[in-house]
Amino acid sequence: MRRRSPWLCACALAAYAFLYIPLVIVVVYSFNDSRLNAEWVGFTLDWYRKLFQNDEMLTAAGNSLLIGLTASVVSTVLGTMAGMAMYRYKLRLLPLLVLTPIAIPEILMGVSLLIFFVMLNITLGLVSVALAHIAFCIGFVAIVVRARLAGMDESLVEAARDCGASPWQTFRYVTLPLIMPGVIAGALMAFTLSIDDFVITFFTAGAGTVTLPLQIYSMIKIAVTPEVNAVSTLLMLLTLLLIVVASRLSPNLLRSDQETAP
Amino acid sequence: MPARASGRLNKWLVSGPPLVYLLVFFAIPTLIMAFASFRTPGEFGGLAPLYDESGKLDLNVESYTRFFSETVYAQVFVKSVGYALVTTLACLLLAYPLAALIAKSPKKYRDLLLLLVILPFWSNFLIRIYAWMIILGPNAALARGVNGALAWFGAQPVPLLFSSFAVLVCLVYVHLPFMVLPLYANLEKHDQALLDAAQDLGANAWQRFWRITFPLSLPGVYAGAALVFIPALGIFAIPDILGGPNDTLIGNLIKQQFLETRDWPFGSVLSIVLTAAALALAGLAAWIGRRQTGGGGAARA
Amino acid sequence: MKNPLAIAAAAALLAAPAHAADKLHLYNWNNYIAPETVKRFEALCKCEVVQTYYSDNEELLAKLAAGAKGYDVLVPTANVVQPLIKGGQLKPLDKAQLPNLKNVDPAYMNTPFDPGNQYSAPYAMSTTILGYNDEKMKELGLPTDTWAVIFDPKYLEKVKGRVTVLDSSSELFAAALKYLGYSANDTDPKHWDEAAALIKKAKPYWAAFNASSYIKELTVGNIWLVHGYSNDIFQANLDAQAAGRKFHILQGVPKEGAVLAVDNMVIHKAAPRPDLALKFINFMLDGKNSAELTNLIGSGNPNLDAQQYIKPELLKYPAIFPPKALQAKLEQLQDLTPAQRRLRNKLWTEIKASK
Repeated sequence: MRRRSPWLCACALAAYAFLYIPLVIVVVYSFNDSRLNAEWVGFTLDWYRKLFQNDEMLTAAGNSLLIGLTASVVSTVLGTMAGMAMYRYKLRLLPLLVLTPIAIPEILMGVSLLIFFVMLNITLGLVSVALAHIAFCIGFVAIVVRARLAGMDESLVEAARDCGASPWQTFRYVTLPLIMPGVIAGALMAFTLSIDDFVITFFTAGAGTVTLPLQIYSMIKIAVTPEVNAVSTLLMLLTLLLIVVASRLSPNLLRSDQETAP
Repeated sequence: MPARASGRLNKWLVSGPPLVYLLVFFAIPTLIMAFASFRTPGEFGGLAPLYDESGKLDLNVESYTRFFSETVYAQVFVKSVGYALVTTLACLLLAYPLAALIAKSPKKYRDLLLLLVILPFWSNFLIRIYAWMIILGPNAALARGVNGALAWFGAQPVPLLFSSFAVLVCLVYVHLPFMVLPLYANLEKHDQALLDAAQDLGANAWQRFWRITFPLSLPGVYAGAALVFIPALGIFAIPDILGGPNDTLIGNLIKQQFLETRDWPFGSVLSIVLTAAALALAGLAAWIGRRQTGGGGAARA
Repeated sequence: MKNPLAIAAAAALLAAPAHAADKLHLYNWNNYIAPETVKRFEALCKCEVVQTYYSDNEELLAKLAAGAKGYDVLVPTANVVQPLIKGGQLKPLDKAQLPNLKNVDPAYMNTPFDPGNQYSAPYAMSTTILGYNDEKMKELGLPTDTWAVIFDPKYLEKVKGRVTVLDSSSELFAAALKYLGYSANDTDPKHWDEAAALIKKAKPYWAAFNASSYIKELTVGNIWLVHGYSNDIFQANLDAQAAGRKFHILQGVPKEGAVLAVDNMVIHKAAPRPDLALKFINFMLDGKNSAELTNLIGSGNPNLDAQQYIKPELLKYPAIFPPKALQAKLEQLQDLTPAQRRLRNKLWTEIKASK
């Protein structure tokens, strides 16, 4: 029987409130009958109507989702590998390469990647943006996975090896389920970073490539209309739906409590 | 295959792909721009040609000497470190109970609670900041409440918006999930049996937390701190949108070099200093952490 | 019997390139062309206009300086056209294809940065002026036709914390220099020091350096006085009326003069479709098309032929259509040399870091 401290619950609830009060405003204001995101004027569904006629915004949202999913999947795979490698082996170069993209100012990374792509004559477009996103997401995943691994019970891994499991089998059936919360956390972070990135995307996007942040930031000097609130609300709901569906379809994938039979 | 050779093969198999990817799509481009810190800014923007008219290699340390001789840049840098530190601490205080709650929840709710933490961050950054502008606006409930209380004490009203307070609140808000997620990933595997045993031996809640939970969670704390402190150092959008006249951070300066001033070499120098400092601080924290956990003899299952 | 799917695929492949080639890539500010205008052009040229946006001239410059390609028409401001021309980034205009160029007011043609308009065609313009809440300014008894109201502490005291200025060193220095009686393009370091000192003295009274959210705050009534762009201030008033506010947001043109920003259409040197680009530029130089933007956002218009199509009430705004007397006091910003830019940045950083 677990007694949960009421004090803990109160603090956590306060933190959730802190996270959600702005979000409530975002969603509520998507129904605001005013061009500006500044004060409540009246209720309207106009912005949702306008959104569905706004091809540019919808394409941008679609591109953002596509790049986000691609970047988070690839960077999670590469980042998990990096996190495990950093935990298990004494490496000097990889930790530096993993940590520096987090530290480096985005604008430097954006400009340098643009110069690099131009040098290699790579056409700018969705692919160049995805490649850039993966580069800065790997670090976040790697750090989370490594933190998860720190203090992991090695005896389970050793036991599996003693029973004759190959390294791949050990990873697949013992290590991976143990680090899964870390992997999931990393993937969530990578997705979040990717769909909200502006600076690096601005420099690496091609002519005619629009993502949602690019579209929205270009409105910053005129007015960020409630249409943006509407598309954000819908994007959040859609992503939530995708995840719920995915977890229903493969319930074992996200489980972290697997009793693995060696 | 002998154990050592297969071990080395495994090492390259695991570390190889991320290493190669980052070398190609990060290290090389960055080195190109780092090299630019030794070049001269182009007349109209960008960089001057590598070889000047006489065919000589045009490299100099002008940009570096400028950084070290004009102290105002170091001033801004120190201020940014201060903001990032405050942000990290505040995030830690807010995130810890949240991560702990999620980690202790019944398994079927954990994923959902975690998702709820990150869900707000799938809306666009800009409108979340605009939402904060509404919350902190001078006519909104919060500002009126605070200033009303201040007036009661006879103090001057303070602006909540366009101030350091607004910048810090938003910095914490934007970085909170990056503290919650690593903390959760670590706390989730803490063995309740340890805590129960300690309780049986007479330890109270605070002792159980401070002597057992917190030390075990340190790797998560450091991961979260790194993922908050380091990006927070380089941020520029938040001061731009709702900062006061004094809230210029090093991220803003770097952006100015690349855009307004078109001085890419100097922007490169500022970036290198920022990155080196961030990595050094992270390395320092990790070193302290290793010494502490090594000496403290944290309980291992 | 050939696979019908293969035939369909082949047909699609053959058809695709021909369709894909008829695209005009326009790199422009957001909301800087009326949607009807775009549709009309697409019908006329039987092509597709693909729009990408930037929100800052400098972003455009940085991206092009790093080598980005794929854009046909760009719409930079005059002081950015200068470095683009000198940096060899633009394609000269084929005047034979631009008969409508004669519609432009000669006062805005043949500028020092592009003599003979070899590379640029004027598109739209704005002035950087004061925007204010008329109720509040009347209440406080403040003047609205001089830069003093944002620089002089004796006026600033009354609006402390309710003023924002643009977060742009070139614009703010230009305003300060004009107020001190110098040209906005003055490059004397001593004069710059004077301007910097003036700004530092006024800074404690300002709420923020802001180029993005000040319009919102002005419309809502949190901010009462801004240093901003005429288009934005015009728009703010429309928003304020739409929200049922009792006050108006008015444009205040300072008597010391102000900065005039003329945006121009140019063709990038590596434009994939220069022919479509020229068609587009000629199309936008036609009075009717040019007027649509002015009617939409209240931007200034250097096109004489457009005047007949512009809403009459807009023609009365001096900030949008400056009368001759005011035109003499308006200046277009010029680009600075790298050494000057560095000095400016050092002063700007000191201003931002000062208490």
